[in-house]
Parts: sequence; structure tokens; C-alpha cells
Amino acid sequence: MSSNNSSAANAWLMLLLAGVFEIGYALSVGGSNGFTTLTWSLVAVVFFLLTLWALSVALKTIDVGTGYAVWAGIGAVGAAALGPVFFDEKLNLVQSLWLAVIIAGVVWLKLADKTGGEEEAAPAAVERPQAQSAGV
Amino acid sequence: MQWLYLAIAVVFEIGVALAAGKAEGFKNRKWTAITLVSGALGTYFLSRALLTFNVGVGYALWTSVSGVGITLLGALIFGQKLNWKKALGIVVVIAGVVGLQLSGAA
Repeated sequence: MSSNNSSAANAWLMLLLAGVFEIGYALSVGGSNGFTTLTWSLVAVVFFLLTLWALSVALKTIDVGTGYAVWAGIGAVGAAALGPVFFDEKLNLVQSLWLAVIIAGVVWLKLADKTGGEEEAAPAAVERPQAQSAGV
Repeated sequence: MQWLYLAIAVVFEIGVALAAGKAEGFKNRKWTAITLVSGALGTYFLSRALLTFNVGVGYALWTSVSGVGITLLGALIFGQKLNWKKALGIVVVIAGVVGLQLSGAA
């Protein structure tokens, strides 16, 4: 366990990074105006690749359910908080609360997938030690 | 129209989740390609939906409805158990989507 501590810490750092990339992805997809604005569209493509790459690296070590919950949670909260900063958007208090309900719901759902998918976890468990040893 | 775009984006996002699971950390080329193409198409339709929805609202709707879809598909097709925790998550997401719509944000 203790020898895995540094790689676990790196995986969580990578997951946080993936969450930040996901915020960038959401904002730039929104800013691309349906992919008609070139600069935002290019930025969106870069964030799209970065967020998938960082997530896939993090999920080599971190459980998929936990990983998706944190990743999607950071992305959704970040997009909601920063949307009004970058664009002409407004959310009132009631709308923000409903948004928080949705985000809480999907984070909860992904965390439940972690404990609930034990039958499906068997093939992944075979793969995971290989991925870990390759990463160290 | 934005709901239709969002629904199509959700379908592709569910495709991403299923394909990414088979891509073996992007070592399997075929499933990696399917993941990327499905992700690109989902992104395009999300961008169409975001022409109308606020970024924060549209993105949250997209991720959460996709999450519900993935869990339901897992239960219906792949025989994963739909325990009370997952059911609660689905109900909370749906309540949030309805609430957001009634509050005029979506």
C-alpha cells in the first residue's frame, strides 16, 4: 500500500487536472457558438483531447465510479460558476439551487456505481494491476 | 430545438462511456477511435444546444442525463443491479432537471 502512495497522489492530481480541462472544454464549446467561431472551436478541440487523456491516465489508478463523479462534478460546478464570468449569462438563486441538485444527483449516482457494479468490476480488476505496474 | 440537440449529444456521450470502457486506456485502437468520434459528435451537438442554454445549465443537463442513461442502460442491457442508491441518484437528477425547467433556466 505505502509504495503506491505517490502514484495514488499523482493519479488524484491528474484527476483534478482532468476536471480543470473539463471546465475549459465546457466553456470553449459554449463560446464556439455551435463551432462557428474559429478560436473557441480550436480551444475546444484541445481541451477535449486534454480532458480525455488526463481522465484516462487518472482512471488507471482511481476507481471509475469515483473518478467520473469527481471529474463531472468539477466540470459542472466550474462551468456554472465561470459561465457568467466569460459570457453574458445570468442564473438566479432558485436556478442555481436546482443546478446544485442536478450536480449532486449525478455525483451521487457515479459514486453509487462504484459500490453497485461488483459483477462488472471483475474484468477491470484483472486489468488494473497491469496498468498500475506500467505506470510506476 | 435545444432539447433535441441535447438529447442527441446525450446519446453520443453514452456511446463515449461505453466505448471508453473497451478502449483499454487507449491501447485498443478500434474502440479508441469510436470513443473519439462519438465524443466529437457529442461535442458538436452539445455546442448546438449551448446556442440556447447557458453553459452551466446545458453542461450540467448533458452530464447528468448522460449519467442517468448510462446507469439505466447498465441495468437494462448489461444486467447491473439497480440498487436503491442508484435509483435515488436518478430521482434526484430528474427532480433537478424538472426544477431547472420550471424555474425558467432551461
